[in-house]
Amino acid sequence: MRTDFFLLHLFLLLFFSGCDMFEAHPYDAYVRGEKNINEKQIAKLEEQLKDASTFRFAFISDTQRWYDETEDVVKHINAREDVDFVVHGGDISDFGATHEFTMQRDILHNFTMPWVTLLGNHDCLGTGEHVYKEIFGNPNFSFQAGNTLFICLNTNALEYDYSEPVPDFEFLENLMTELPEHIKRTIVVMHAPPFDSVFNNNVAKVFQMYLKNFPGLMFCLHGHLHQYTVSDLFQDGILYFQTPNVGKRSYLLFTINEEGYEYEVVEF
Amino acid sequence: MSMKWLNFKMLLVGISLLYTFPLTAQSTIVDIGPKDTLYNSDYQYRLDKYQRQWNRLIPMHTVFQYAGGMGLISVGAGWTYGKNKQWETDVLFGYIPKYSSDKIKITMTLKQNYIPWKVPLKHNWTLEPLECGLYFNTVFSDEFWTSEPDRYPKGYYGFSTRVRTHIFVGQRIRMNIPEKYRKLAKSITAFYEISSCDLYIVSAFTNHLKLDDYLRLSFGLKFQIF
Repeated sequence: MRTDFFLLHLFLLLFFSGCDMFEAHPYDAYVRGEKNINEKQIAKLEEQLKDASTFRFAFISDTQRWYDETEDVVKHINAREDVDFVVHGGDISDFGATHEFTMQRDILHNFTMPWVTLLGNHDCLGTGEHVYKEIFGNPNFSFQAGNTLFICLNTNALEYDYSEPVPDFEFLENLMTELPEHIKRTIVVMHAPPFDSVFNNNVAKVFQMYLKNFPGLMFCLHGHLHQYTVSDLFQDGILYFQTPNVGKRSYLLFTINEEGYEYEVVEF
Repeated sequence: MSMKWLNFKMLLVGISLLYTFPLTAQSTIVDIGPKDTLYNSDYQYRLDKYQRQWNRLIPMHTVFQYAGGMGLISVGAGWTYGKNKQWETDVLFGYIPKYSSDKIKITMTLKQNYIPWKVPLKHNWTLEPLECGLYFNTVFSDEFWTSEPDRYPKGYYGFSTRVRTHIFVGQRIRMNIPEKYRKLAKSITAFYEISSCDLYIVSAFTNHLKLDDYLRLSFGLKFQIF
């Protein structure tokens, strides 16, 4: 009888303490906790940097399955106290499994400054893209830091097999027509760079032409290949900076001022 | 096109595996003496043998399971076998609600259980202090693939989004239904299982994760029909 009682007790304990541990499927797309994060973070960011002519942001990327390193980078950037916001270049999940997104979200949420996250190719696997949209929002988005426009784009064309326009030129056209007058400079962020196998390379040059139509295109940022690189991809003077994956324990730090920009590779 | 075919192939492999388990594990067919003493004709003898063979494929128990990565609710059937009935093979079909994705999904699970010990308790109760095993789960949905579609460079991701391998340990308690109360089952077993799947295990290996980041809980009921 005592064994019965013990088992019943254990059963009830597991039932009530472990509600998060009941999972229909690793790809069930059941999102607990905060959703629509990019929109909320952008509202905060734009408010804080409304009149800023100088600001500093960190660019991290490819944090998939490097949970310990992601925790470390959050602590490190918070401790600096000189970073205005953080941009994550995508691949927050490795397999597209739902819990990967929520684990990463809960780590990144410890940033004391605003942060936004792009969609990576790994984030598209299985039901991953649905989960990304639920937690972060639309994979194409933009925000303003003072007079600088940030365009964040889904460039993972291979994942869509031409079923959706990637990159989305209509999004860029709409953005261009609705551009506020005070925007003087533009920075473009993406996960996979042009000429990568994930990118729709048939439109790589068209893509670059569209980007150069935006006022004062400064440079482009990407992740994906897990290394630090600076390349003039189109031989036209527009640099593409790549930040390493978080597992390399380094990130890019950009300071934008009235004259232009400075950057450094920070190791942590 | 190739996706549909893969689904079908998985189903075939699953079903054929299921049929081989009980056949190989059970003792040989009881052969009832020389045929001419018991049967009127060769036909009668062969018919009887034929029916006995197919009868052995009738599932011996039904299972209902909640969670565990095989669907929110799964329903299945299985076979109990082995000298001490320590082996069980189940096939389950589960249902994943839509949640934030674009459609509901059906999954299929092939599950192998090992129950090494049975501890008789008072009255009609039996404790099975350890149950362990593994299961393979596949999802019927075209957003998943078994091997990467051709559009990817070879070995780009190097894993299957569709097929998951889970390992589990659990405990069970069985209540034998006294014969006079029996309706459909001779015993009912309640169990819980703690499981993890391949994706979670590789994540836990290289990080300091909390237990509930990679362990999953499920429980269920088994009705032993015969």
